Amino acid sequence: MADYKLLGKNYRTPDLYAKVTGRSKYAEDHRAEGMVFAKLLVSPMPHARVRSADTSAAEALPGVLGVLTPDDLPDEVEAPNEAALTWEPKYEGEPIIAVAAVNEQIASDAIELINLDLEPLPFVLDPLESLRPDSPNARTDGNTTVGREIATIKWSASDLAGLASGEIPMEAEAAAEWSYGDLEAGFAEADVIVEEHSYNQSTSHQPLESRTTMAYWEGGKLYVYPSVQSTARSVGPMARWAGIEPSNVVLINEFTGGGFGGKISGYVHAQIPILLSKKISRPVMMRISRREENAIGRARPGVQARIRLGMRSDGRITALDVHGVGEQGPYGRSGDNMNVAGIGSLCYQPLACRMRGTNVYTNTPPKGPQRAPGGVQSNTMLEPIIQKAAKQLGLDQVEVHKINAPEGQAKFGAPGRDGEQGNVSSAFAREAIDKGAELFNWTERKARSGQRNGSKVTGIGMSLAAYSAGASGVDGLFVLRPDGRLYIQSGVGNLGTGSTFDTMRTAAEGLDMPWDKCEVAWGDSSKHLPWSCSQGGSSTTHAHTRANWAAVEDAVQKIKEIAAGDLGGEADDYEIGGERVYRSGNRSQGLSFARVAQRAIDLGGKFDGHELPEDINGMTTASATALAGQGLMGVAKDNYAEGGRRMSFVAGYAEVEVDIETGNIRLVDYAAGSDAGTILHPKTYGAQIFGGAIQGFSVALSSKWVYDRRWGLAVAKRFYSNRPPGILDVPHEQPMKWANADLPDPFNPLGAKGIGEAAQGAGSASVASAIADALESLGEGNGDFHRTPVTRDMILTKLEQAPIGHDRLTAHV
Amino acid sequence: MAVIRDVIPQLELFQPSTADDALSLLEEHGSDAWVYAGGLDTLDWFKDRVKRPRVVVDLAAIDSMKQIQATSDGIEIGAMARLIDVVNNAEIRTQFPALAFAAKSAASPQIRNQGTIGGNVSQDTRCWYYRDGWTCYRAGGNICYASPPTAMNREHCILGASRCVAVNPSDTAPVLVALDAEMVVQRGRAERVIPASEFFVGPELDIERMTMLEPGDLLMSIRVPSTWAGARVYFEKVRDRDTWDFPLVNVATAIRESGGTIQDARVVVNGVAPTPVRLTAVENAIRGQARNEDTAMRAGDVSIQGVAPLTHNGFKVNLMRNLVKRSIRDEPMLDV
Amino acid sequence: MSQEIIEVTEETAQQGVSRRNFIKGAIAASAAVSSTNYLFRSNGGTVLAQTPAAGAVERLITVNVNGRSRRIEVPPMETVATTLRYKLGLTGTKIGCDRAECGACTVLVDGVPHYGCSLLTHSVRGREVTTIEGLEAEDGTLHPMQQAVLEEQGFQCAFCMSGFIMNSVALLNDNQSPTRKQAAEWLSGNLCRCADYDKILTSVMRAAEITRGA
Repeated sequence: MADYKLLGKNYRTPDLYAKVTGRSKYAEDHRAEGMVFAKLLVSPMPHARVRSADTSAAEALPGVLGVLTPDDLPDEVEAPNEAALTWEPKYEGEPIIAVAAVNEQIASDAIELINLDLEPLPFVLDPLESLRPDSPNARTDGNTTVGREIATIKWSASDLAGLASGEIPMEAEAAAEWSYGDLEAGFAEADVIVEEHSYNQSTSHQPLESRTTMAYWEGGKLYVYPSVQSTARSVGPMARWAGIEPSNVVLINEFTGGGFGGKISGYVHAQIPILLSKKISRPVMMRISRREENAIGRARPGVQARIRLGMRSDGRITALDVHGVGEQGPYGRSGDNMNVAGIGSLCYQPLACRMRGTNVYTNTPPKGPQRAPGGVQSNTMLEPIIQKAAKQLGLDQVEVHKINAPEGQAKFGAPGRDGEQGNVSSAFAREAIDKGAELFNWTERKARSGQRNGSKVTGIGMSLAAYSAGASGVDGLFVLRPDGRLYIQSGVGNLGTGSTFDTMRTAAEGLDMPWDKCEVAWGDSSKHLPWSCSQGGSSTTHAHTRANWAAVEDAVQKIKEIAAGDLGGEADDYEIGGERVYRSGNRSQGLSFARVAQRAIDLGGKFDGHELPEDINGMTTASATALAGQGLMGVAKDNYAEGGRRMSFVAGYAEVEVDIETGNIRLVDYAAGSDAGTILHPKTYGAQIFGGAIQGFSVALSSKWVYDRRWGLAVAKRFYSNRPPGILDVPHEQPMKWANADLPDPFNPLGAKGIGEAAQGAGSASVASAIADALESLGEGNGDFHRTPVTRDMILTKLEQAPIGHDRLTAHV
Repeated sequence: MAVIRDVIPQLELFQPSTADDALSLLEEHGSDAWVYAGGLDTLDWFKDRVKRPRVVVDLAAIDSMKQIQATSDGIEIGAMARLIDVVNNAEIRTQFPALAFAAKSAASPQIRNQGTIGGNVSQDTRCWYYRDGWTCYRAGGNICYASPPTAMNREHCILGASRCVAVNPSDTAPVLVALDAEMVVQRGRAERVIPASEFFVGPELDIERMTMLEPGDLLMSIRVPSTWAGARVYFEKVRDRDTWDFPLVNVATAIRESGGTIQDARVVVNGVAPTPVRLTAVENAIRGQARNEDTAMRAGDVSIQGVAPLTHNGFKVNLMRNLVKRSIRDEPMLDV
Repeated sequence: MSQEIIEVTEETAQQGVSRRNFIKGAIAASAAVSSTNYLFRSNGGTVLAQTPAAGAVERLITVNVNGRSRRIEVPPMETVATTLRYKLGLTGTKIGCDRAECGACTVLVDGVPHYGCSLLTHSVRGREVTTIEGLEAEDGTLHPMQQAVLEEQGFQCAFCMSGFIMNSVALLNDNQSPTRKQAAEWLSGNLCRCADYDKILTSVMRAAEITRGA
């Protein structure tokens, strides 16, 4: 690794002091003069048409200032997208009408006074149900999308003939399909073929801060205080929902209480306080309740799949064939189901691969990207199958992963139009596997597999996960001012992952500036922020090290030109260091950065931002123009070569102890090895590794939604019934361990990649694998669960060979 | 009227400082009044706007109801003693560690700092249909939403169903039943003492109540006699998360041994029926037997006689059998 | 437009909000603050609150928050979290679930951790409430737990942070040398959705070190 002064070192992010003292302002902490509160009337049915809604009594209630109905929304949205309010709610909890009142209690009282007449419409909760002949569709216009078009797919009776209930016909019609290699030859070459069904249940994002937005209008401008993951990328959507130009939006959101993919660039329901505020001429605050967040907030699509995997006696995976059905909720489009083989083809590099799938609309809360969309499902479903094949061949699970691991610019996924598959910018997956195996003492621990201690049995598992780890093509912007300080602008957003600030240190590193002389502006679009990537998909670390490095190169060139102009010679005769620019070989001949900044202002033009590069985004141009004349400006678009899709890898290792009398699963230990290039900030890096892993643990162990099938309503609405993990549910007696391969990504000047996504699949898949390992030791087939989470009832039922009350792929039980 | 499950509506709050004042308020307002102890179960109902009493009588200011004291025959625990007080009380920890442990198993630390023993035993069921305001039998309707084949009932009962299939979720209740505790209930000036084993009411008796408490009644204290003081009392709770979760099944087993045989026993499970269930058949089966693996196994098998699981909770049969077995076979691990 | 906390006197609230006749400014200790923007009445509307019946609680009550006595008007069923956030401008206490499940609203009442979302403000009359804003010493010295979080870069989104910190403060008052296991058990009523539990526990252990050293 390169020797950096700042990168790779722990430091305190500049937002932390405000957080520990309670001064940090999240969306609901903002106040405005005359602010009132909005509450929602939501659908009590999974699918209905509003015949009539009489709000007169509600509006007459003292303290009520106004209502917003679907009729108040400016434009109809294009299907299959959702509107903020609707007369045809397609899931329980979908907003129909909003009421603004002087406090939440009166708003709630008013909602009870609305006379609502609903006509129930057919609904469907389980994607497989909607694919059966003569079954209902969740939407009146279809049950899936084929390409961009909404369509209906129904399997025929002959497709289903011979299959047990809940099984997926491998060759039945699918909305999408891709393949590479010779699948038949791959299976022919295999020494073991494992074919199984598997179901990864939908889990919700459940950020601790529910969707909250405060909005008011002043002087034709919208001031909006939402809870969003991204700053720059949320301005446009807010403007669209408000019906104004982005330049008339001031978006303030310095602190966000979690998102996990559910608040990437805003959410359409922010339109409610925006429009209500306009309608009643008062600032409107809308914090939706936890119950509403469970419905309106996003969830990871559940995936039901049939999977066939072939392995050669040397451990090489020769063929992977997947038919995956995704659960979409009633709106939007997701590709999680297609990612089962997509990510599988990256992690395990099968010689031949086919992915067929249909993403089905359901009358359940809308689904969207959640931390490694499809990747978590892929790893969690495939790992127990790989483990099983390896066991049958007498091979070590780690060795099998190393044999199949991608390396270099490995290819993966669906071939493009040219028939060629895409590739990654770099893969050091084997190194990640080795790092983790060493930390975990794999060989020693593996020997404990199946060990009994009274009613408890030990299981050891591992997995390799991968997911996207960086965007590119955004802008860097900073100003070196005559006070000798560096002012760095960030439009990313602040989820607290650290990447917002970690990547800004790239500018300091490149200019050799001490960090305590740097200030970061973030989270407020009026602070002249550059076009940035979204704070999602683990994009930031890669994207903004690159963008800031591009700005560094721009600034360094300008600094040297100023020195050459003032002191003679050519720009190339100069170098920078110690907050100075000086002639190479003669440190005494130079200028301080403070002086350079003043000279930049004197010179104007490109030096202080009065002339700007043409290829930067319009938002950056506007911001840079506003900052022009304040000092020496570094501003540039990231035009570095991409080299392929940036993907990070995490190998997860888990030990569990399963009590066969109670079904209790205790997660004893977890360790991870990773490949995410250069690490910018070890403490926040570790937090991503473990935070991701723990969200994965709950995929494997506890989190799920449960719906009543007769009424189509969610019943597990509380944390104690949908079960996000608590501190005692994860290894806590000793710190968990991680290690990184520390091999820089060759297509980033700083070598950094993101890590948050892949971390989750590593957690879920290694735990699923460890549980299977423990139970398989009690008898062949005991480790086959075909679904996650693996809960106490499943273990007890399995060991007693008792009936469980639902088909293997039944959704939401 | 449209439904919103949010924000407590306007209610009238009384905070009497003596039990007498509380009792007269309850008498005056009858079924319009709601007894408010720690408030955790209560605020849930109020925020959901499902239960809307006119008057709320908060007992927090009544110091006399918070005492835990040794009596000539055991310990008397004021109904308003917090769960944390039960966990930390030296007398309880010495004489009835299983009760302290059960109290510590409930919910979360913050809830134990606020929730009371009276509230823990009187709390309403967590049936997710009923709690969410579905108009079921328990809510005065004429249907059970949790028992049809399409219903989700993993957490529901395998015993004692009578139209309603909800379970009692209390962790302290089975221990109190096992310890032969008594509930001291006052109504106006009249006091009555109800054995814990009769305090809990199943749907066959009254489908809208979980306990014998009726409007106007106040649970004053719980008396734990010294009968089982220092005896071998086992408590174990199995739940999905290791924190803030209700029992799938819990078990409390008190055993007195002499000369290698079981002289007397109480075996009580909760989370399996609308009330804590004292398994007298198991007690009879193990009385006079040596406490060993065989006896434990037999006890487990006897415990599940007559169970009637629903679609999704067959595992509770195995779990109950295993827990009863463990409670006799294993040494109590009371981590308090 | 101002983002400051806006307080409204009883008089201005009576006059109605449309006149925007607000009194802005910092919250003064022991000032009678009532009917803030969370609870004012609509312009010309009738008084919404029911008239208290005889024997019912008084609405104007005194609560002691972070060492200051505050006289405020509180409707009977208002929770501590709401009062802190909307009457007293103490927004460090967060509402995560509002159902006593996540712990983001944890505050200390007489030093004991409680879920502020599920505790009536009328239940803390005469008791000492401490929030995240009350941890700093007057000279700005941070509590060891705050200091430790800064050192360990604890938490991510930090929406759960004030609840965890308040609960940890109570832990360290009770036990200056907790094990990680004891700390985890003490903190088990707090949920962190970023799942930064590992670093949170490391912060608590560091805070214990600082406390012992102090």
